[in-house]
Amino acid sequence: MFRAGKNIGTECGRLALWVFSCLVIIYLIAPILVVIVVSFNDTTLFELPPVRWSLRWYGTLLDSREWREAFWLSLWLAAAVTALALMLGVPAGYALARSQFSGRRFLEFVLVSPMIVPAIVLALALYVLFARLGLIGRPAGLLLAHTVLAMPVVIVIVGAAFRRADAAVELAARACGASCLRAFWSVSLPSVRPALISAGAFAFLTSFDEVVLALFLGGPGATTLPKRIWEAVKFELDPALTAISTLLVGLTLIALFIAELGRARVSRQKP
Amino acid sequence: MDGAEIVRQPRWIWRSALPDGDRKPWRARPGLMILGAVLFLGALYLLPMLILTGWAFRGPNGGFTFAQARRLLSEGAYHTAFITTFRTAIITMLVCALIGYPLAYLMATTSPRARTLLMAGIMIPFWTSVLARSLAWIILLGKRGILNEWLVASGLVSAPLPLLFNSLGVQIGMVHVLLPFMILPIWAVLMRLDQSLPAAARSLGASPMRAFIHVVLPLSLPGLLAGCVLVFMLAVGFYITPALLGGDRDITIASLIEMVVRDLLDWPFGAMLSLSLMALVGGVFAFGALFIGAERLTSAEGRT
Repeated sequence: MFRAGKNIGTECGRLALWVFSCLVIIYLIAPILVVIVVSFNDTTLFELPPVRWSLRWYGTLLDSREWREAFWLSLWLAAAVTALALMLGVPAGYALARSQFSGRRFLEFVLVSPMIVPAIVLALALYVLFARLGLIGRPAGLLLAHTVLAMPVVIVIVGAAFRRADAAVELAARACGASCLRAFWSVSLPSVRPALISAGAFAFLTSFDEVVLALFLGGPGATTLPKRIWEAVKFELDPALTAISTLLVGLTLIALFIAELGRARVSRQKP
Repeated sequence: MDGAEIVRQPRWIWRSALPDGDRKPWRARPGLMILGAVLFLGALYLLPMLILTGWAFRGPNGGFTFAQARRLLSEGAYHTAFITTFRTAIITMLVCALIGYPLAYLMATTSPRARTLLMAGIMIPFWTSVLARSLAWIILLGKRGILNEWLVASGLVSAPLPLLFNSLGVQIGMVHVLLPFMILPIWAVLMRLDQSLPAAARSLGASPMRAFIHVVLPLSLPGLLAGCVLVFMLAVGFYITPALLGGDRDITIASLIEMVVRDLLDWPFGAMLSLSLMALVGGVFAFGALFIGAERLTSAEGRT
């Protein structure tokens, strides 16, 4: 009798927890769904539900040279940033995971600290440097700037994977006569391939979505997609923005799916 | 002794198995592998930050001066920006903790399938462009936005509610962006929590509420603290959301820096403001690292 009453109380608490959590999830998801639905609207007003459905704003995007150019610049930039961040970050993550030296923790903190520096401060600092080097408004400048943000992401993800991976396998390869480089390339790297995929996907998104550095360092010469969106949101509120946002959500989903592929394989590999 | 046995032995045993002239163990030389990253960040991160620090203390004709620091301390308009930033960050942190903790708790205690669904509900918005999300709030909350149109049409309110371009709009947008930074550390701690501890409390006669308050909550405090430090730290330096969803009265330090540099071209003062913002962020980080360790903070962070 007493127990039954207590269980009902627990069940009610559980139900309340679920209802509350679902409301929070709705708060997180709803704005994104709204933008997607509104993007298929035929009018210039943001109506929900749309009175007439159409792909009008997607057509506007395709026709506009500005949007197309911004999209391609962002895409190439993000791909280059991913490559550079992996090239620098993977060996660094490996070294931090596999070695013990005094000051290792401090060095690790310095290497990942760009993640906690406010973007606006980093933008200012890089502006001063890039102005001297003539890199303002040049895609090359943005490549370097975005890599500062993307490399720590790679170091954190890949470093954690190297820590989980079995170091004995590498030592076995070395004991069997493989050179350092060969052991790293043929044994260590393949053992963390899923993490490499995740790190690459997140490095890509870090650059592709980055606004503040692009605003400050892009100038008129290098307008990335987020910079173009920022200007449109701030000054005109173009209905085509909902279409471009929907495309961004789609791209995020693809990148997350790729990253998740990596994560799923990691957990399956664990004994 | 098979191969796997050999390599698990201390270093001096397997070392003799290496080819001649290559006896030095690989793990003792991290230098070359980390060199690229260190040089890159040294040139493009540490050096620029040092230059910026130099600007903050540079007089009009060169030389060293505290003029910018004095200006920062003496003028009320700048204090207002600091107070606004602090207020926004603290409210964001509290709201995130209040609505994030229950969700993290549910995720830690529910079935794996439900957990995956909840996780997707958090991670998809987390990685969606902050600009796209700000646009969504403008469409939803604006004076002629979807929410106000619905409210007015249904007769619930007579005039559109001021939901946007004020501090309320900033809070709604900031909590939306930073909530995952609160949920994920709490969840990580709750997942590692030994489930037999609350069960033991229950079997000894504690009510579910009592078991939660006296056992689960204290044990999850490191996660809660990590979440609070992360959210506060990121909220203090946040630029995009306040700039897009805030009004003229919601000038934060970050927007002040942008105005000082872009409109007034006052680089020394912009550098001084940046320095004070960095000091604020660094102070909060140091506070968090002191109590829960720097690793927990940096590993919990995905992006800003």
